[in-house]
Amino acid sequence: MAADSVLKVLFEHEGVFIHPSSDEDGTEQDLLISGSLRIVDKDAEVLVEYRPLEDTVDPSNMLCAGKDSSSVMEWDQCSREKSQQLLETQQSYETEWDMINAVSFKKKSCTNGEGSLNHSHERSRWAFSFSVSELRSVTVKEEGWTFLLLKLKESCSSLPALHFHQGGSTEFLDSLRRFALLSEAAGDDACLLVSSPNRALSQSFENLLDDNNFGLVNQKFRKDPYITTLGGFSKVTNYIFDAFRGTEEQHQRPPEEVADLLGEVIPGLEINQQEEPGFEVITRMDLGPRPEVRRGTALSTEDWSRHQDAEGRMMNVALLKQLIFKGGLCHAVRKEAWKFLLGYFPWDSTLEERKVLQRDKMYDLTSSWGQFISDEYFRMKLQWKSVSEQQERRNSRLRDYRSLIEKDVNRTDRTNRFYEGIDNPGLVLLHDILMTYCMYDFDLGYVQGMSDLLSPVLYVMENEVDAFWCFVSFMDQMHQNFEEQMQGMKTQLIQLSTLLRLLDLAFWNYLGKYNYSSVLV
Amino acid sequence: MTTKTSLLKVILLGDGGVGKSSIMNRYVTNKFDAHLFHTIGVEFLNKELEVDGHQVTLQIWDTAGQERFRSLRTPFYRGSDCCLLTFSVDDNQSFLNLGNWKKEFIYYADVKEPEKFPFVVLGNKVDVTERQVSSEEARQWCQENGNFPYYETSAKDATNVAVAFEEAVRRVLALDERTDHLIPTDTVNLHRKPRSAATCCS
Repeated sequence: MAADSVLKVLFEHEGVFIHPSSDEDGTEQDLLISGSLRIVDKDAEVLVEYRPLEDTVDPSNMLCAGKDSSSVMEWDQCSREKSQQLLETQQSYETEWDMINAVSFKKKSCTNGEGSLNHSHERSRWAFSFSVSELRSVTVKEEGWTFLLLKLKESCSSLPALHFHQGGSTEFLDSLRRFALLSEAAGDDACLLVSSPNRALSQSFENLLDDNNFGLVNQKFRKDPYITTLGGFSKVTNYIFDAFRGTEEQHQRPPEEVADLLGEVIPGLEINQQEEPGFEVITRMDLGPRPEVRRGTALSTEDWSRHQDAEGRMMNVALLKQLIFKGGLCHAVRKEAWKFLLGYFPWDSTLEERKVLQRDKMYDLTSSWGQFISDEYFRMKLQWKSVSEQQERRNSRLRDYRSLIEKDVNRTDRTNRFYEGIDNPGLVLLHDILMTYCMYDFDLGYVQGMSDLLSPVLYVMENEVDAFWCFVSFMDQMHQNFEEQMQGMKTQLIQLSTLLRLLDLAFWNYLGKYNYSSVLV
Repeated sequence: MTTKTSLLKVILLGDGGVGKSSIMNRYVTNKFDAHLFHTIGVEFLNKELEVDGHQVTLQIWDTAGQERFRSLRTPFYRGSDCCLLTFSVDDNQSFLNLGNWKKEFIYYADVKEPEKFPFVVLGNKVDVTERQVSSEEARQWCQENGNFPYYETSAKDATNVAVAFEEAVRRVLALDERTDHLIPTDTVNLHRKPRSAATCCS
């Protein structure tokens, strides 16, 4: 048994990639090897090590999240021996959102011995390690991201280029400078020549390549807000899947089957199923040529009534929605259809029930439903209407809401004939509905952007009460976007970032490099 | 002689509806629209100008004034060279909020020396007859909060808009010149080429 070696990690960065296809013996096209680059002090010798992760998928790479600074990671040095723990602080890609809502996860060790899948053996051939004293030069290149070409003094075969898709090259070089002198080669700014204090070569490159005992870090998500994001991401998979298979057969499929199907449909797609049960993590995707999408014909009044049963309940709602999604609605149908689409009318309500609502424009109603809707609206409208000037002076929140609404009503769709000109009645309605909504949900009140949502609804409804209740239903769905914590918007931005990373890694990296990933996440 | 154009990032902050977008549009496109769409998040426009012989490209960042959109605008504060704190003279609340805007900016822009950062204060909508904030009040606030230059502007009739932006540029340039003279001698010049002594030795 070898004596316990003292290992100190001086630098570590994950998300460093090798592009094997561009390598001489690369056979797998479009494969990226993701791994971790470290500088370690092992038995008083400084080594640079590259280890591919067990799978190309590294959950921590999925998002440019601020990682928990206290995250503990275990690196299994010798097989099943007591692992050495190291504290590692990862550089956070974004800081701004941290302040508002810290989203972070801890890296957790999981050092079971069952991880030795066939492909992990395959990947281990990309691992390498060398002493800093062996390093001859480092060439820094840019290709939307930074990649480094490392040359050793005595090796005739060059090491694979290291692609820093998630930044970190500067930090790596800075760390390297602590142990070696890097100086620009004459006539080539990009090439840094390495000179280091002479040290005995204790381990050869070839030796380490055979070292299969090098533990591979297996990371798992802790339960945290990111689960939500990955959940959303998983939905993307389902969405892509649906798009190709049609929505009818939406029963649950086993994940392997979904992966196979997706793999058939989308070449270049890699799906990892091992990482976290219940999630499929897509690591790479080539979308191929954009499918031709043709706009369908707009749904006419006749089409609409054809989807009603004898009592006026809407039938085949899923198909109906699909037709509307593809072709839109004739303007004549909108007033009716939007009430369903926005959630004001239940799809399974009868014509009789809806007629009650149609008559509901008047006060004198017999139906309890219509009565409620109408009375409720005017009751709430009266609430703010009856607030005297003196009262309002003492109610800063109502005053603020009113001031915001007045400012925004004056600048909402003013080129539309329904809102143009001075003292247009459309503006008064817009104002009154928004003020009444404040009474309906005083905690949320009025937030910019609401007037833009209400404006087309009011335009189509041409009726204050209907427009209000349609708006209320609409806001039920949009609520998150307007809340104080802006969780809805943040979730969408995280999803956008995830998609961007998947579809245009170079651009995503570019944003990260200039610190604009904080804008996306 | 070399003509050097410097890019200056200027950011407009202030309550919703005080006229930030209108000021920017008046200055860059010389147009005014009384019913301009409200801003969500941030927008920016570039304008080239010459101030005291300096060629400058002004990058003007316009922000959404509503409190709720803080997290959409604050990431863009970093790297600003100047901040235009804007209120509307017909809206006292927007004037009272100036201090909060200044605070928010300093916090998120990560300003190293807040007392030296160039702020310019704009009291917009002077064309409106019903004022709620007097010039005296505004000037006093500016004096007490860091001796900021104050301009009463009207995006509607273009009063003082260009002047205010030019003053902003002057403030930034003045600061640059001062720091140019104050370079400490014990720093490493990063732009100097290292001597090519360290060639590969065998």
